[in-house]
Amino acid sequence: MSLKGKVALITGGSRGIGRAITLRLASEGADVIINYFRKRDTAEATAEAARNKGVTAHIIKANLAEAEKIDRMFAEITEKFGRLDILVNNAASGVARSAMELDTDGWDWTLDINARAPLLCAQRAVPLMKNGGAIINISSLGSRLVMPSYTAVGISKAALEALTRYLAIELAPRGIRVNAVSAAAVETEALKLYIADPHLPRPLVTHTPAGRMVQPEDVANAVAFLCSDAADMIRGQIIIVDGGLSLTSLGYSAPDSSEGGKSAVP
Amino acid sequence: MSANPSVEETVKKIVTRIVRKPESEFQRSATFQDFKADSLDVVQILVAVEDTFGIEIQDEDLKSVSNMESFIACIERKISEKK
Repeated sequence: MSLKGKVALITGGSRGIGRAITLRLASEGADVIINYFRKRDTAEATAEAARNKGVTAHIIKANLAEAEKIDRMFAEITEKFGRLDILVNNAASGVARSAMELDTDGWDWTLDINARAPLLCAQRAVPLMKNGGAIINISSLGSRLVMPSYTAVGISKAALEALTRYLAIELAPRGIRVNAVSAAAVETEALKLYIADPHLPRPLVTHTPAGRMVQPEDVANAVAFLCSDAADMIRGQIIIVDGGLSLTSLGYSAPDSSEGGKSAVP
Repeated sequence: MSANPSVEETVKKIVTRIVRKPESEFQRSATFQDFKADSLDVVQILVAVEDTFGIEIQDEDLKSVSNMESFIACIERKISEKK
């Protein structure tokens, strides 16, 4: 699954799932452009980890809620690389509010970053994908399932999944594959923002047939596959990475790991 | 130590615009909580301040921030480090 010689932009690529994707694509030989929002030190550290894999890594600060900043980011990419082969729309933000508490500021912020920015990035990336390419959008199960205080993010992810389908058809003649990876709750720092109860992850584990929570590397593995030519006939699909969680019914418990039911962490 | 008036005025405009309060309610002793700023407000304030002054404020920098006076001092420190 070599991505050697490819240039990949990973939005929000410095930490959590984004970092895992950045390092996985770097491991496959892709030069990586890491977009970050505010934490330069973290972005530098991820870039250094990517460089240690023998690829070029470049960081760009940009607040994706602003179209002008997205323009500047792509101007820099055009100047430094002149091309792009892979776009991973991973950056996400959002306010944790119920529908009745959600105000217009929170709605705009969340939708601008999670749904509008992937469209704007795709519009600016496509002219740089002269030899075709791949666009991967990172979604979550909250696009279909109802989770506490996840209203704005869930809605934005539903929009992102619809965008995935529209882009996949529109860009197919250009040799650009567009797909999404949708994950269950992934064990990252961001998860803590939505889970006040520190004991809550346990039910997530016991209700997941695979017997463990999704790790950032699980998502990165799916992204790397979708970036490869092996995924050429997968278009506009939402690949769910959840260890089977979304298929289970209420009251399901994963088999005891002593019975050999637990899968290995990647 | 008195704050740079232009920095303070700019911060006052940014903060009160985002938390939707009249500039007359801005006090150096006020905290973000006093303005009823939620986490999104704080992020938007930081982004606006960084863009306006051409600085980057890291989480480490915010450890010394307890109210508007120390926030302004933090911004002035970052501006002077840039020069």
